Amino acid sequence: MRTQTLLLIAGMMLVTYLPRALPAAFLEKIRPGARAKRFLEMIPYTAMAALIFPGILSADPQHWYVGLLGGGMAALLAAKKVPVALCVLGAVGVVLVCNLLLPA
Amino acid sequence: MTRRQQYAAGAKAGAPVIFGFLPVAIAFAIAAAQAGMPAGETIGMSAFVFAGASQMMAVSMLMQGAGAGTIIFATFILNLRHLMMSTCIFHRMKDGPLPARLLVAFGITDESFALFMTQPEQHSSIWFFFGLISVTWSSWVGGTAIGAAVSGLLPPLLAASLGIALYAMFVVLLVPHVQHNSKLGLLAIATGLCNLLLSQLIAPSWALIVSTLVCAAIGAFWVEPDPEEEVL
Repeated sequence: MRTQTLLLIAGMMLVTYLPRALPAAFLEKIRPGARAKRFLEMIPYTAMAALIFPGILSADPQHWYVGLLGGGMAALLAAKKVPVALCVLGAVGVVLVCNLLLPA
Repeated sequence: MTRRQQYAAGAKAGAPVIFGFLPVAIAFAIAAAQAGMPAGETIGMSAFVFAGASQMMAVSMLMQGAGAGTIIFATFILNLRHLMMSTCIFHRMKDGPLPARLLVAFGITDESFALFMTQPEQHSSIWFFFGLISVTWSSWVGGTAIGAAVSGLLPPLLAASLGIALYAMFVVLLVPHVQHNSKLGLLAIATGLCNLLLSQLIAPSWALIVSTLVCAAIGAFWVEPDPEEEVL
């Protein structure tokens, strides 16, 4: 394993494990207030939104709209409560069709 | 219930997560291979970090050329939410000495939290939780290994089309939450636009962290809690 990746994994493990383990050790002392709790609850949603956009525009390096079409398909299927794996496959299918039709 | 029965009941309760984790883990491993990570590193990351969203994020940040320090900081921000989940879990879990509690803390994820907190009272032991996370951890690491094994066998056109899988994953995770909560949906759109704007001004990996934190702070005051999540 490369040293750089080893450090990355070790660092990610540490910063992920600490918030998981601290309440086990200091249960009585950690009581986030209502507002802090709301803030922590919001983070996954805003993080996911920031991860999707604008990155999805470069999912296909040549055509920015291909990523949007794939993402749109995933959103449509997810809204119809289609299982996760099939939503992802649907998005991949749309991009695959685009790659077959569009000039490289 | 004996310890063995508690463990078995926990493992059984975790079974549905297998179907949720396997495809995501496979998609993660394929994305990691595209980012240039060897199979051993990819599987190692799943085994030791065990946090799907942040592993996905790490891979997409690696593809954007982000350094380890930035990725670790972004992981910390993203996984701060476990602080809240862990607090709830250990309030509910009445048994287990501290070392055992520190061990099972490693298995706290969005999924194990949601499953454990919605179980009947007799399933609140540490052995139940241990059974639960044994299943979730194994399916995450197993799925990653499967993905790493098949990633090299894919035809180039298909491999190129898989770049969308990671984004599709995030979309699928986000949609059910914003679907019935229009303010949360608007917040998500605002976050994306904020990230687009900021990434013109500062490095994209920092734009991601800043827009996540700023918009989460706005959301904490502006978005009403989801009534379904209040149950937890």
